[in-house]
Amino acid sequence: MGRCRYLLKDATKAEDAMHDVFARALIHADDFRADASPLTWLMKIATNHCLNQLRSERAGWRQWFERDAEARSEAHGGAGELETRDLVRRLLSRVDEETQAAVVHYHVDGMTLEEVAALLGRSVPTIRKRLERFAELGGEELRVR
Amino acid sequence: MSAHESEWTLRRLHAGELASPEATRASAHAASCDTCGAVLRGLESNQQGFEAAIPFERFEQEVQRALERRRAALKPSPRRWVATTVALAASVLLVVLARPLLNQGPGWDRSKGSADVAELRIGGGPGPQREVKPDAIEALEPGERVMLGYKAGTHRYVAAVSVDAIGEVTALHPESGVSTPVEPGADLHWLQGSWEFTGSGAERVVLVLGDEPFTVESLVEATQRAFAAANGEVERMSPLDVPGAQTHWMLFKP
Repeated sequence: MGRCRYLLKDATKAEDAMHDVFARALIHADDFRADASPLTWLMKIATNHCLNQLRSERAGWRQWFERDAEARSEAHGGAGELETRDLVRRLLSRVDEETQAAVVHYHVDGMTLEEVAALLGRSVPTIRKRLERFAELGGEELRVR
Repeated sequence: MSAHESEWTLRRLHAGELASPEATRASAHAASCDTCGAVLRGLESNQQGFEAAIPFERFEQEVQRALERRRAALKPSPRRWVATTVALAASVLLVVLARPLLNQGPGWDRSKGSADVAELRIGGGPGPQREVKPDAIEALEPGERVMLGYKAGTHRYVAAVSVDAIGEVTALHPESGVSTPVEPGADLHWLQGSWEFTGSGAERVVLVLGDEPFTVESLVEATQRAFAAANGEVERMSPLDVPGAQTHWMLFKP
């Protein structure tokens, strides 16, 4: 739910998206590997679902800015973390789909490079490169550690 | 390297899915670390807030509804076609007889196996039954269903998918596993069942005929890649990066 709210910035849409995410997960339960992390799997589905939804709403990215103020109270973490998440959100529309997912998992979920790489099926250097390119848009705050 | 646990590790710890040694280590660290302890407490607080805002019964009910919506979009309903079977049979006959005269109409594959035919037919609703041309966008009426037919020419395997405006890809035929062998013979063969696409907005349907068996998963992934390459605009998707011949149709849901 937190992921859907962060990305969609609309409580009703977020709740609908959350239900769809769980429905998708139930339908595709056979795809889930027994040794995998259910939380990671659900978060990946939720992230893809919401990013796709935003892309499908032509005005979605523009509406983000309007909803920005409303969403501030939805996030958690310290002030610095809030600023980083807001910055990430503002810049997401400028990058490709895979970078968007990598950025959200790294900066918002707090995954390590290795965890993001494993989740997206890419190498650590590839993920690092994508995150570094994203960081060029936002400066020091988005530096990859 | 940070001495703290990653936030994701703490999330997994909170969700109770870390394996024993890692869970013990992370718990011990969080108990003695103000920063990680605060993150854990924040996660617990969020969880409590979520459970208070959305009671489980409501959550369960809404997920069930979402599940039914998705299943309805996938579920074939051949019975609704009983009334139109005769008309369909007639149209098949018409197609078989008329195709040689059409000289590569829009439903024909032009890339390989020139004897290939792919056809999408709409019916089962209040409007007239009709064939959809690959180069046009056809509006669907409420309740209308879609049937897919093919004549394989030189190809031996068939599968079909659809993708909606938010990039949700649905395996239509088969629903999982590997592409099915084509039916022999020169007749137009209809894939089993029919589909009603739920939701609203654009829906692209793709039928692929291949020389070799291919997994439904590979077709779904190719569709997702094409959707992403089109910047999420389902109307602008390019041909899928899969071997064989493919035919695309664009539908617009009410």
